[in-house]
Amino acid sequence: MKNIVLVLLVLSLFSCKNQTQKGDVLNVYTHRHYESDQELFKLFEEKTGIKVNVINASADELIQKMSLEGRNSPADVLITVDAGRLHRAKTSDLLQPISSKILDSIVPAHLKDKDNQWFAVTKRARVIAYAKDRVNPEELSTFEALTDEKWHNKLVIRSSGNIYNQSLLASIIANHGEEYAKEWVAGIVKNMARTPRGNDRDQVKAVAAGEGDLAIVNTYYIGLMENSSNPEEVQVTQSIGLFFPNQETTGTHINVSGAGVAKYAPNKENAIKFLEFLVSEEAQSVFALSNYEYPINNNVEVSETLKRWGDFREDTMNLSLLGENNKNAVILFDEGGWR
Amino acid sequence: MKEAGDNEIFSIKNRLLRLKRDSNRWSLITLFVVLLIALPVLTIIFELFEGPGESWVHIVKNLLAQYVSNSVYLLIVCSILVLLFGVTTSWLVSRYEFPFRKQLEWLLILPLAIPSYIVAYAYAGAFDYGGSLELIQRYFGMEFTRIDIMNRFGLAFVLSISLFPYVYVSTRAFFLNQANNLLEASRMLGVGEFRTFFKLILPLARPAIIAGMILVLMEVLNDYGAAQYFGVHTFTTGIFRSWFSLEEPETAIYLSALLLVLVFALILFEKWQRRKIQYSNERTNTERIYRKTTSKRKQFFIFCIVITPVLFGFFIPVAQLIYWAVLTYSSVFDYSFLMLSLQTFGIAFLTATVTVVLATLLIFSAKWNRIGFIKNLSRLGVLGYAIPGAVVAIGVMIPTLALDRWLMDVYASISGNTTGFIIHGTLFALVYAYAVRFLAVAYNPIESTTLKVSNSIPDASKTLGVGNFKTFFKIEYPLIKTGMLSAFILVFVDVLKELPLTLILKPFQVNTLAVRAFEYASDERVMEAAIPSLFIIFTAAIPVIFLNKLLVRK
Repeated sequence: MKNIVLVLLVLSLFSCKNQTQKGDVLNVYTHRHYESDQELFKLFEEKTGIKVNVINASADELIQKMSLEGRNSPADVLITVDAGRLHRAKTSDLLQPISSKILDSIVPAHLKDKDNQWFAVTKRARVIAYAKDRVNPEELSTFEALTDEKWHNKLVIRSSGNIYNQSLLASIIANHGEEYAKEWVAGIVKNMARTPRGNDRDQVKAVAAGEGDLAIVNTYYIGLMENSSNPEEVQVTQSIGLFFPNQETTGTHINVSGAGVAKYAPNKENAIKFLEFLVSEEAQSVFALSNYEYPINNNVEVSETLKRWGDFREDTMNLSLLGENNKNAVILFDEGGWR
Repeated sequence: MKEAGDNEIFSIKNRLLRLKRDSNRWSLITLFVVLLIALPVLTIIFELFEGPGESWVHIVKNLLAQYVSNSVYLLIVCSILVLLFGVTTSWLVSRYEFPFRKQLEWLLILPLAIPSYIVAYAYAGAFDYGGSLELIQRYFGMEFTRIDIMNRFGLAFVLSISLFPYVYVSTRAFFLNQANNLLEASRMLGVGEFRTFFKLILPLARPAIIAGMILVLMEVLNDYGAAQYFGVHTFTTGIFRSWFSLEEPETAIYLSALLLVLVFALILFEKWQRRKIQYSNERTNTERIYRKTTSKRKQFFIFCIVITPVLFGFFIPVAQLIYWAVLTYSSVFDYSFLMLSLQTFGIAFLTATVTVVLATLLIFSAKWNRIGFIKNLSRLGVLGYAIPGAVVAIGVMIPTLALDRWLMDVYASISGNTTGFIIHGTLFALVYAYAVRFLAVAYNPIESTTLKVSNSIPDASKTLGVGNFKTFFKIEYPLIKTGMLSAFILVFVDVLKELPLTLILKPFQVNTLAVRAFEYASDERVMEAAIPSLFIIFTAAIPVIFLNKLLVRK
């Protein structure tokens, strides 16, 4: 009997139904799960009175979910942390073109889809972290030059399963073609100081500890480390220098977080409003000040950390190309034995 | 010729007649439950006929060998380690008296409370540059010697140390309840302690050991988080890679099917191994094992052996997590956290209830039905555990969405209005998927206690005209109650830890602690993941301790 009462109690806890699909609501499928985003959802709710419902999962799973749900999908907006997956959502016919003067005027051409199906909201650069005491930054130039023999056994980088590595190789394929990309993979694998493992933070730590001299990492994670609550991590970053590669050639490879409106969005109006809000100065400064990401709206002031790293020239290749070449990149990684 | 033909027809007719005679509503109920549980699995198998995607050639050429060799390596090394940790400790705590034995008995189950990917993060963090080991060594003025754990063996170690309690629990139940008469007999014949254990006890404990081991090995094959982080390519990381990086769900499903073959091979191999051996124990009320007291020195030695896996499986990772939690709690902990914990607890409770009821229904309806092949069919219900959570989620989504579309059409044609999803995206779909995934976890302990109940009493009850249900509640339920409760607790804990399936199927506004921990970890904020992880551990630890009480109670 006691058990039955308990079960009933628990059941009553979950009597919340799925009623929040229509009306003045916005259903967001997002890969991002940062405090900055929570703050923005709240801000958007306060400004517009539109209730924001959020599903957090990896972009891959969200895309799968949306395509299975089809035209009944409750999703209004899809947010991912890389352009490749937005492109995949587009080619899977899950997004719709949006015409918005605000979005057109703020988001630069290379940071959005050719058909206006998705728009970047923040940027991250992929850079070279080097050991200050062992590497002279003047020796560094481009990602391409990292295959040089002088870096033999000096390079640490994470596994090829990571989307940022996939995007980097995709950009190399787009810039130089597949043949070159294949050689590049072979050259990098040869120069690796250890088999790929761990995440970006672990690569930086390995450089600080002397396991390698160079690491290819994302600026965002360096930002997290520099401001970490663990004093050991902060100390690690002090022995590390950041180098923005390819300044003289293509510009540093960047990746974006971006958002698109779902093809069958039940609340399309709200979705467009939300996208416009995300690129507004108000929202952009929340990103730029609290999350170590670069804003795409240039009028916005950035955090101290980003200021310290300084300005850089970014690769202005259209980011759709990253998505188009992603699968090829994965195959080249596997063939080249980049674990 | 004619005669033979007649015979054949006669025998088919005969069989049909027999089938008709034997079928009862229990056959139907068994079929229904089996179908319900097997539906997602069948959906996946059905998808197989679509064939793999074009990357299949690429995978076979460049990756498959690696997947197979790493997965097989993990299976073998984990089997050995788990045997070592699980069987040794369960024998020592059952057979010997030593200081802190009572506490260690339940401490040994606690590693189950920590998701293995979190153990992996904790170990990687502890052995990392600037990690706890370095800090400790620096404190004592020692040179930093780095232990590299992020490799194949490290992964096998982490998985074994967090999963061995499955073997410990099932084996200890056997030792406690069954071993006493064996020991007595053996001693009377003048056989020594050592030989008795290896020649008599261990071979007889094999079904119990294997039952735990199969669970461990399936979890090993299923692991994604730890393998991914350690950079070890296994079948399951391959499934994710072909699904997401190569953008071919059909290839991922193909790989899962191969994985399934591997699991079946394991199960069949075990069945074949013990094909001629019959295990039976007529006495249901055996005496409790009699514990030996030994010299102080030996006791200390035993204590050291038993505490080692607890140290590595629980205290070290938890200490690491607590250290991180102290560093980060101010930015992570707030009121919503308590609500989140409550919600997670509620989901786990509900799921465990549903799963245990389903498993019991399946076991007993199969027993009460009289058609042989349906009995065998009921074993299909445990398939879900062998399939990665993410794939189960897809297997659940496809049929529930189809049903939803149909329901929505019906609704629209009746009322003229449209409606949203009725099943999909609700708690119902989530709990259903959990039940599919974890039925095996509930099935095994319930089945093993059911097998111990001899059929004569329920049969007598039925001969006296008492119905199946009443017999069940009056006679069988009290006898298998412990099995049901341990099933409940195991499912409960598994749901607390479950990740990929939850990510895909959870409704809007619902969240679990595991998801929160994963969000932090996937953002490379492993330290911030410490607080939700500790919440999972403590929520799971309470029922785990309770489980121990249950097993020890006479």
